[in-house]
Amino acid sequence: MSLYDSLMAGLSLVGNWEALLSLAIGIVIGVVGGAIPGISATMAVALALPFTFPMEPINGILLLLGVYKGGIFGGSIPAILIKTPGTPASSATILDGHPLAARGEAGRALGMALWASCTADFVSNLALIFFAGFLASFALSFGPPEFFALILFSLTIIAGVSGESLLRGALSALLGLLLATIGLDLVYGTNRFTFGDPNLMGGLNFIAVLIGLFAIPEVINMVWHPTGHVGKVQKLGSKWVTFAEYRRSFRSIIRGSFIGVFLGSIPGIGAAPAAFLSYSEARRKSPNKANFGKGEIEGVAASEAGNNGVAGATLIPLLALGVPGDVITAIIIGAFMVHGLQPGPMMFVLNVDIIYGLFIGLILSSGILFVVGGLAIRGFRPVADIPKRILMPMVLVLCIYGVFAVNNNIFDVGVMFVMGWVGFAMGRLHVPPAPFLIAFILGPLLEDNFRQSMLMSGGSPDILLRGPITWFFWGLTVIAVVAIARGTMRARRAGA
Amino acid sequence: MSHRAMQLRLGLGAILAAVFLVTYAIPNWVSSPSNVRNIVLSPLFWPYILGGLTGVVGLGLAFAGWREAGGEAVNEAIPDPQAGAVRLVAFAVLMALTFWVMPVLGMVWTSMLAFVALAFLVKTRHPAAAVICAVVVPLILYAFFAHVASVAIPQGDLVRLP
Repeated sequence: MSLYDSLMAGLSLVGNWEALLSLAIGIVIGVVGGAIPGISATMAVALALPFTFPMEPINGILLLLGVYKGGIFGGSIPAILIKTPGTPASSATILDGHPLAARGEAGRALGMALWASCTADFVSNLALIFFAGFLASFALSFGPPEFFALILFSLTIIAGVSGESLLRGALSALLGLLLATIGLDLVYGTNRFTFGDPNLMGGLNFIAVLIGLFAIPEVINMVWHPTGHVGKVQKLGSKWVTFAEYRRSFRSIIRGSFIGVFLGSIPGIGAAPAAFLSYSEARRKSPNKANFGKGEIEGVAASEAGNNGVAGATLIPLLALGVPGDVITAIIIGAFMVHGLQPGPMMFVLNVDIIYGLFIGLILSSGILFVVGGLAIRGFRPVADIPKRILMPMVLVLCIYGVFAVNNNIFDVGVMFVMGWVGFAMGRLHVPPAPFLIAFILGPLLEDNFRQSMLMSGGSPDILLRGPITWFFWGLTVIAVVAIARGTMRARRAGA
Repeated sequence: MSHRAMQLRLGLGAILAAVFLVTYAIPNWVSSPSNVRNIVLSPLFWPYILGGLTGVVGLGLAFAGWREAGGEAVNEAIPDPQAGAVRLVAFAVLMALTFWVMPVLGMVWTSMLAFVALAFLVKTRHPAAAVICAVVVPLILYAFFAHVASVAIPQGDLVRLP
């Protein structure tokens, strides 16, 4: 199929009002979800996921991508207004956004956040379109040993999402890997931790685990401390961002977008490090260096460009290799699977219409985000006023319906409840949940590819180093492990 | 709980879990055919590797905790921890009841009751709004899932919805 044919096939999928409406609704949900502290972009995507089951695959996935992109921008609204990032990615936006809000210039900061977000989002989408296809065609030459090496490298990304302690991140990942072993063995069909219960033979339901891990602990936290969320919203002010300010910050926005694209295309790094790196680079290069941290509009632009630059780029490993780039894309994989689609190189052969439909939808999403974001900035206050002690029971009920709808199975609701308590305990013990989820997804792939490789070679481990692709990923793994070890030692020395 | 205590507890917990996995759980709850020639192809291989790694990470955490000196409390204190603990137990009971009652009462009615119970458990300042939402939200979700998504929402044995 030629490029023109592929584009036309994609356009036929998204050139209708249902697809555009799904995208727009997704962005609205994302912006609102991201803007409410406690409902992160991750949770918004997880909660929206079950509603996409009855939809056409392309519409459902576009809705979730809209939630993702809207959520990343939406997180900047409370970061600027109430110094509470709606998502971890917006943490850097606080540094200059909140001082601007404190001076009564929240509208200006939010306006710049929106302009920078949309610009970076567009750059990121273009990067996805240009690089994903190339990477996928390269990945078609992968066999089980190559995939094993790739997934092993991807597991090193857990270090990037482990937060303050690598050991606690590793423990979280091991828990995820262990829970992923539940079910029938794929080679011999024997039982592993099923206790003879048919509900466990297919393994734990992915959606139940992720909603339990990310949404239910928020409800339990509310039960533990019902008044812990009380905050105060700042006024928007009458001053708005000008085009001259946008032009002055443009260099930082483009630099931040490329930092976001680069870090986003490496699985597991995520938006928060991109935002901080973009911010620190903007500060280093800016003539207004001294004003950073005190309410510099360029600081807001740089951090928002950094985190939104990640949004499209995290889809590069997802679509090209079937490896989630961050927690949200790990959830979005669930949507692909529910609709019978397997992201990865074969998708570029078997479902090229969906791939190009997604590309077209993503390009449109930047424009829709600009419109929705502008309205959201003005309309945020009533949304923020939804009492959290009514919001959380709603979240609970939504979770129950959503998880049940996956398999029409009440057992999954029980799994979600149990995982909710696991997530709460992990939160209290400062064990990050993101490594758990990434390991839960990658674990079975790692094991299956390892065992397939061993079957191919008759048990010889030499096959794991059979060619340049495996050498490349083993090399990257070694480099990543060395970098992690050096970083940990440096942090320990700095702390001592 | 201090940072040191947390690291130590996590480390010891992980070591105990690893010992339990390797000595009891994997031998008893993972079955493997007797004719597997190569250990790396056995269904037992991967769980044993993970069990061993859990023990290693547990040792690392315990060692890191042992080396730390005292430290500040890791979690923000709440005004009345005892009341908080009681609420947590009540919520656990509410979850268990929701799970067991759902097949009998149906998902809609159970959700309504769970909504109201949770709203009052967290002492909502808007009881009337909570009750209205408790009725409306499950009904809207039922309408969507049952009539749009064609999901067979459990109706229960008592009152059935159209």
